[in-house]
This record gives sequence, structure tokens and C-alpha cells, in this order.
Amino acid sequence: MAMRSDANERTGRDEPPAEPGGGFAGFFGQALSGAALLALLTLHMVAQHFLVKDGLRRYADVVEWLKNPVVVLLELGFLVFVTWHALLGVRAILFDFGFSARIERALTWLFVVAGIATVGYGTWLVWTIVNAA
Amino acid sequence: MSGRVATGADRADRPIRRRGVVGWFDPRGRRLGGWAFALNRLTGLGLVAYLYLHLGILSLLAAGPGSWDAFVDVALSPLVLGLDVVLIFGMLFHGLNGIRVSLVGLGYVTDRHRALFVALMVFGALVLAVAALRIFVK
Repeated sequence: MAMRSDANERTGRDEPPAEPGGGFAGFFGQALSGAALLALLTLHMVAQHFLVKDGLRRYADVVEWLKNPVVVLLELGFLVFVTWHALLGVRAILFDFGFSARIERALTWLFVVAGIATVGYGTWLVWTIVNAA
Repeated sequence: MSGRVATGADRADRPIRRRGVVGWFDPRGRRLGGWAFALNRLTGLGLVAYLYLHLGILSLLAAGPGSWDAFVDVALSPLVLGLDVVLIFGMLFHGLNGIRVSLVGLGYVTDRHRALFVALMVFGALVLAVAALRIFVK
């Protein structure tokens, strides 16, 4: 199967894209997390905003909503995929600047740490809200 | 339409685009796929900035009902609701264009990717219109 990505689009040609900036793993990681996000983001937007009066829950309603473990699981899953997709995307953009391999390795580790910190923060926040009730 | 067949020499004549952000907006020889690429990156960066802004604002929940409910009042102002429409545009463009990029990248619809782009954008415009109506018309 021919593997291509969006990188050919930076040439501006109206041709199918090819050669991912972050390698095949980077492209496939973005496609996979992107597919998960299509479902999770749609679910998040509908359940958290479009089905809610005024589009945002008040504090008491947030606490009540987060008592449902399925909601907590889905929101944390959403956070994991959106963080993965966001940081991998920023990494691909930075790699386009043509840094040395040493700096690229350092950037990769920086994004891994940032990703873990982001998901850790989200988990702490949910834990704090649920236990404050 | 000239009907001329593109050759390898034509490709070699095309300008070499600069690396980095400046290259995204270099208009020389840029066509639909190239602009989609530039807008995909711009919306992506905007969405990453929004993600961390959103996570920061959610910390108000840890501060208790006073902080969060005061924020909800601000979030319901017309200015913020207008920014919500911009945010939804970014999500729709990035997500729908991402479907095209992924499919083409995996070797599907490579010969129809422009038609797919147009179809996805028409769908996105409809969803954006419905979302804007739902946000502003109570």
C-alpha cells in the first residue's frame, strides 16, 4: 500500500500528499489519534455543550455530571488522545525547521514530559472535583 | 484547458518553497492542496493554544462554585460566543481536512482528493451554520 502524508502539500502542488514530516510513525500516529478524536470530540461537544442549557454547566451540574464513571473515563480518554495529537502535531511543525538530530531528540523528550504532565493535570483536576463533592 | 501533460521537467521548474512558517504562505505555484496544508497547520496551532487555555480555565472548577459560575457568566457574553464560532470553524476545518489527509496518506482516493476536500468543506460549512444558529438563537 502506498504511504503518503500531508508533507507534499507544503510544496503547494495539487497532488496527493506524500512523505510525512515526522516519518511514517508520526503520520500514522496522527491519523490514528485523529480518528479517535473525531468520535471523542464530537461526543464531548454534544454532551458537554450542545445538549446543555446555555452550552455550559454550572458548578453543581459539573459535579453531578462527573459522578458518572463512564463520563470520567470518556473525558480522560479524550484528554489522552487530544494531548497526543496536539503535541505530535507541534513536534512535526518544529521538525520542519530542520534542527539537528540531537535537538530533535531533546524536543521529543520535552513533548513526552509535557504530554504526561498534561494528562496528569487533567486527572488531578477530575479527582479534585469529584472528591470536593 | 491546454490538455498538456505534466512532466518531470515541469515539476523541476516549480519554485523551491522556503522551510518553516514562511514557506506555508509562499503563494508561488500554490494551489488548493497547498492552501489546505497551510490552513491545517494554522488551525492546528490555534487548537493547541485553545486546548491549554481551556485546561487552564477548567482549574477554576478546583477553586469552587464561586469562581466557576462567575466564569460561566463571562463565557455567555456575545464576544465569547463569537469566539466559540471561530473555534468550531477551526475544529471543523482541521478535523474534516484531516480525514482527507489521512485517506490520501493511506493510499485511498488519491485521484479524487480535491473533490473530497470540496465535499468535506461543504459539509463543514453546513455544520458550522447549524452550530452558529444554535449558539446565537436561543
